[in-house]
Amino acid sequence: MAKSINRYFQFLASSKEVRLSSRLWYPSADVYQTPDGWLVKVELAGVSAEEIEIDIQGSQLYIAGCRRDKTCAVGGSYHQMEITYSRFEKSLEFPDVIDGASIEHNFDNGLLIIRLWKEDKTKP
Amino acid sequence: MAEKIIQNTQTDAPRQSEIAVLPLQNTTLFPETVVPLSVGRERSVKAVEFALSTEEKLICCITLKTPDVTGQEAKPTDFYEVGTIVNIKRMMRADGSMQLIVQGVDRVKVLNWAQEQPFVKAKVEVLPDLTISDNEEVEALKRNIQGLVQEALAMLPQVPPEIRMAVISQTNPVQLSYFLASVLDLGVETEQKMLEAATTDELLMLTHAALAKEVEIMQIRSKIATEAQGEMDKAQRDYVLRQQMKAIQKELGEDETGEKAEAAQLRERLDQADLPEDVRKEAERELRRMEQLPQAAPDYHVIRTYLEYVLDLPWKKSSEEKLDLNEAEKILDEDHYGLEDIKERILESLAVVKLRPDSKSPIMLFVGPPGVGKTSLGRSIARALGREFERMSLGGMRDEAELRGHRRTYVGAMPGRIIQSLRRAAVNNPVMMLDEIDKLGNDYRGDPASALLEILDPQQNNTFRDHYLDLPFDLSKVFFIATANQLGPIPPPLRDRMEIIQLAGYSDAEKLNIAKQYLIPRQIKENGLTEDQLEITDDAINLLTARYTREAGVRQVERTIGNLARKVALKVAQGLTEKVTITAKDVKSYLGAARFYPEEARQELPAGVATGMAWTEMGGEVLFIEATALPGGGGLTLTGQLGDVMKESAQAARSYLWSHASEFGINADAIKGNGVHLHVPAGAIPKDGPSAGVTMASALASLYTGRRVRSDTAMTGEITLSGLVFPVGGIKEKVLAAHRAGIRRIILPGRNEADTEDIPEDVRKELEIIPAKRVSDVLNAALESEITQPLPIENYNGATHSVSRAETGTNEPLIAKEN
Repeated sequence: MAKSINRYFQFLASSKEVRLSSRLWYPSADVYQTPDGWLVKVELAGVSAEEIEIDIQGSQLYIAGCRRDKTCAVGGSYHQMEITYSRFEKSLEFPDVIDGASIEHNFDNGLLIIRLWKEDKTKP
Repeated sequence: MAEKIIQNTQTDAPRQSEIAVLPLQNTTLFPETVVPLSVGRERSVKAVEFALSTEEKLICCITLKTPDVTGQEAKPTDFYEVGTIVNIKRMMRADGSMQLIVQGVDRVKVLNWAQEQPFVKAKVEVLPDLTISDNEEVEALKRNIQGLVQEALAMLPQVPPEIRMAVISQTNPVQLSYFLASVLDLGVETEQKMLEAATTDELLMLTHAALAKEVEIMQIRSKIATEAQGEMDKAQRDYVLRQQMKAIQKELGEDETGEKAEAAQLRERLDQADLPEDVRKEAERELRRMEQLPQAAPDYHVIRTYLEYVLDLPWKKSSEEKLDLNEAEKILDEDHYGLEDIKERILESLAVVKLRPDSKSPIMLFVGPPGVGKTSLGRSIARALGREFERMSLGGMRDEAELRGHRRTYVGAMPGRIIQSLRRAAVNNPVMMLDEIDKLGNDYRGDPASALLEILDPQQNNTFRDHYLDLPFDLSKVFFIATANQLGPIPPPLRDRMEIIQLAGYSDAEKLNIAKQYLIPRQIKENGLTEDQLEITDDAINLLTARYTREAGVRQVERTIGNLARKVALKVAQGLTEKVTITAKDVKSYLGAARFYPEEARQELPAGVATGMAWTEMGGEVLFIEATALPGGGGLTLTGQLGDVMKESAQAARSYLWSHASEFGINADAIKGNGVHLHVPAGAIPKDGPSAGVTMASALASLYTGRRVRSDTAMTGEITLSGLVFPVGGIKEKVLAAHRAGIRRIILPGRNEADTEDIPEDVRKELEIIPAKRVSDVLNAALESEITQPLPIENYNGATHSVSRAETGTNEPLIAKEN
């Protein structure tokens, strides 16, 4: 939790361009409200599904995971690297309590699609 | 909350693993911080490349102990033991070096070094995250740190508000500490210590200490910055205003010279001026100061005026001496009638100046009544010497600063009159006339006479220091001439410095000549007439001097002649007449009735009245001393505005007569039995001095003896209680006055006989001058032998009867009555 609060900023305008923590990769997300729940899209290209953690606490949806570089081979060498290969964490705040909603997620062309069904509908 | 599900980052890397090591110079990386790095050295590049070829993109950054060792050749012993595993987030290659952006993940400790080439590899063990315990010490430290952070932020207005919020809301003290440690430039050693801190307590203590130090430095820096800013702001504001003023001045056409030009002009003048070395040095210094000042500075103008003054002064410039004594004599004669011995003394002094040009100039003091030509004599001397003439009146001057100037610290300070005169004269050897030196003020407001002491002392005045200039000026070449009406008010030390030359009043004959030679031609010219149009006969002139004026000098005579000339000018201008000749008879019709009647010798003086002579600033006068007996009264009453000296002199006269009564044929009882009132008209004019002593003695003797004082006789002289007659001053004026009044016999103190040589010949030959050594001489000469008015003496019965020499025997009852 502590590490997740981090925000990007510069302090003291110092010569050292130091930033606090992982704002560098903070994957973008869209949240739709659908008649029967929520649809969340997260930009998570290159992250394997096994590496993704999803959790719900109250009205918060928490997504975390790790992107690993699977393509690099010994002998080759990077010329440029912009894609962040590391853990990411993202919390999404919903207007309603989503605790107890059922979750379904899958990848679609690099987007992680998460569906949340409201409790009463998904629990017959 | 989420911890139970989420893998700890630490599990991303094995607890122990072999990892590439990136040596860091001069910096330390902390967990959770994101830092850009530049990697150029071969070994480091290889290490990074290796890290990039792993799935996790992790590398271990370890700081080198000494900054002299580069990452390229660093041996394992050069590394600290604790470093940070970082995740490489971005990489760009540029010119063979790599630009990285890395994020700290975990602290690690090196277990052993696996390889050194081609890049360093080490086996590391991940150190546990610092846990945040809830003890009070940690809480206190945390709050302190937060407080310091707030303070720091307050001093950094450029930090955006959202960042402020983020820092302030950072509640995890460990992260805050790491962040601060990487932000602040604490030095490798401190940073490493913070990285190695095993407990939260230790870390927070270090952070707090470092932050406190930083905040203090920032406070000092910001204070300095504020002050510098303040100065800058003011300077800038001044500059802008000055530029505006310049523009305005330009519009007004006042910008011809400008400050630079002014200073340049002064410098040019300074370079050309012939100045003594010390003066030049001082002037250079002031000029340099002025060049640094803006024109609007108040001091600028003070210095400018000062420099202009210094440059204007004739430090080395003298007018050329063209002293021809014959010429000088001619000039003196031309300008002044008579005054033979004075001219002679002036010529003597000039002769010395001629023979010894480097000698100290004499300082002359002309003393005499007004209008006798003291000032014009000074002018003639200047003319004779061919020097500049500068006159300053000291009358009523009461501030020493007027002579010597004010210090430059005062607003509107100016040099004194001496220096001002020299500047006007533009040479350092003018004839400087100090007029009315006897009228110098001297009271609590100042004593200019004391300043004159220095100025008039040839030994001192070669380094005369004006307060304003504050530079020594050589006054020794200046020819000082002072004038005064009286010697008395001049302080003795000042008098002592000058050669005193007395100018007495003019006699009627001299006035006649002066009028004919100087006054009439001058007045004719001034009133636009010609010599042909106005003629005044000698008789008329004599009448003017005797009846229309009363003075020792000739000013009033000149005014009266001017008066005549104007009236004539009116007639001429009206075309009524071509030429006017004024004779004695005409004077009345022009000027009205005569204004003065000479104190004519009174005819037939009664007993008890004697004619004296007095010296006044206007010349001389005759005066009468009247004594009358007060039968039955006592003591001596003195009236007529007499001063103390004169009163005492009256008492001395009475006492002397009383004690020598028989010698003079006086009945002592006549003195004892009668009071005496002594009056000296005119009663409104104050009189003082001892010179009426003989006159008062004569009046009293006349009263007591009944013998009248001869009415053709006037007298002067101081008496002593032992009957001696002491010399007095102003003999010439007194004798001339007596002569004017028609007196023909003069009794003088014997020791004043020499002074009679000053009396013009024509007057002297009409006079009988009687020198007197003792009071008896005076009385013998003054009193008629015949007893005409015996003194009435009150007898013991209350009846009065006359006492004469014949009756001296009847004194017994009187003594009884006295008792």
